[in-house]
Amino acid sequence: MVIRSSQTGSLKNSLQFARRLTLAASIVTLLSGCATTELAGNNNAANPDDPYEGFNRTMFGFNNSVDSYVAKPISDAYRWITPDFMQTGVYNFFNNLKNVNVVLNDVLQAKFEQGAQDTGRLALNTTLGLGGLFDVAKNVGWHQNDEDFEQTLAVWGVPQGSYLVLPLLGPSTARGIPGSVFDTAANPATYIGMPVQLLSLLNSRANAEGALKFIDEAALDPYVFTRESFLQWRNNLATDGRMDSSANLLDLDDELETSTKPIKE
Amino acid sequence: MLMNIKLIVILVSYLLSASVFAETESSASAKQIVEKFQSDLIAVMKEGQKLGYAGRYEKLKEAVINSHDLSKIARIVVGKEGEKLSEEQQQKLDEVFSKLSIASYAHNFKDYSGESFVFVSEEQTARGGVVIHSHLVIPDDKPVKFDYMLKEKGTSWRIINIIANGVSDLALKRSEYTTILQREGFDALIAKINEKIDNYSKQ
Repeated sequence: MVIRSSQTGSLKNSLQFARRLTLAASIVTLLSGCATTELAGNNNAANPDDPYEGFNRTMFGFNNSVDSYVAKPISDAYRWITPDFMQTGVYNFFNNLKNVNVVLNDVLQAKFEQGAQDTGRLALNTTLGLGGLFDVAKNVGWHQNDEDFEQTLAVWGVPQGSYLVLPLLGPSTARGIPGSVFDTAANPATYIGMPVQLLSLLNSRANAEGALKFIDEAALDPYVFTRESFLQWRNNLATDGRMDSSANLLDLDDELETSTKPIKE
Repeated sequence: MLMNIKLIVILVSYLLSASVFAETESSASAKQIVEKFQSDLIAVMKEGQKLGYAGRYEKLKEAVINSHDLSKIARIVVGKEGEKLSEEQQQKLDEVFSKLSIASYAHNFKDYSGESFVFVSEEQTARGGVVIHSHLVIPDDKPVKFDYMLKEKGTSWRIINIIANGVSDLALKRSEYTTILQREGFDALIAKINEKIDNYSKQ
């Protein structure tokens, strides 16, 4: 019952975890082109959204090793030597650039009112916030919205497709891959150059720290935990939270009925 | 005659209003269960450091047991795999699952930085459940949506699922537990749960 409803620190982190991973994914970009849908099938999978579970589990293990031997040590060093206000500044800077994507996707999804606010947010933080280093707009009450091309594709009716764990990039879906490609192409951070992109990666990993620790603490099966929370979280974003009271809860009701009356065969 | 009709009308309207009243009263109690639990949590967070893990566990044990239907949750999370479990195994699962639920609350709710829960709305589900929609308001941040799903148990209501920003705790756990039962079996599941409880108590 408990894990999701944890105290703010770990809770916020866990909710932001998918966001960070997608951000990381959109930065290293074109690698995702390599991992198309031609993957060996594994039909024993329990979740219909995850027909390639065998492949995905292997990739998940590979990514975890890369993370613990390379990404985590570097990220820990970054977190240790960099003062907090600087880490926040770096985070704000890349987050502000991402708002170019947010505005674009607001428009593509016909969310004009939200688009206007996000444009204001981008303008305010770029000017008064000194190029995005300070999140001034938050103090005005304009919170960060989360929109990307994968959500736009969802709004346009493109089905989610299979769950995929991409090498180095982490969790995605068949719909998430073209989404990430568009996101990377639209994000100004992509065109700044190598050292900045490395910093961006570092920033993404450092911000995922709390979430990854949370998964480590809470998950009995980290692969399944990551997959389920990622898919549910993306689904919730794509539908702007409208799904939870209909599909999710009604399914649950059916589940309850069958589980309270065990079928004897 | 007219008098009688009048009497019937009064009687009927009285019954109607009584049943309406009864309904709002019973759903208010679902809301009360959630709000009591939330205020217990906030209280524990506020004195989290002073209480320590063991102190938080003790306080939350009562709060969780009085608001959640843990044995029902334990049955749902093993899904169809539950049919293969013996009576003894089911009991063992119930026991460690309750411990894990309380332990993870005790571990995660250890400090307080101005958070509060706000009631948003209440909804009936098709099969007689109630959903309480609420927000966890965090200073300087976007509020987090918390939806509690409750079912009637005896004369009271009990939480059986919490959905945080669209991520259903029950669905998440069910995927995990059934996968582990299928791949590694019952003993491995219990061992993993015990390991988590252990880790929570140490940190």
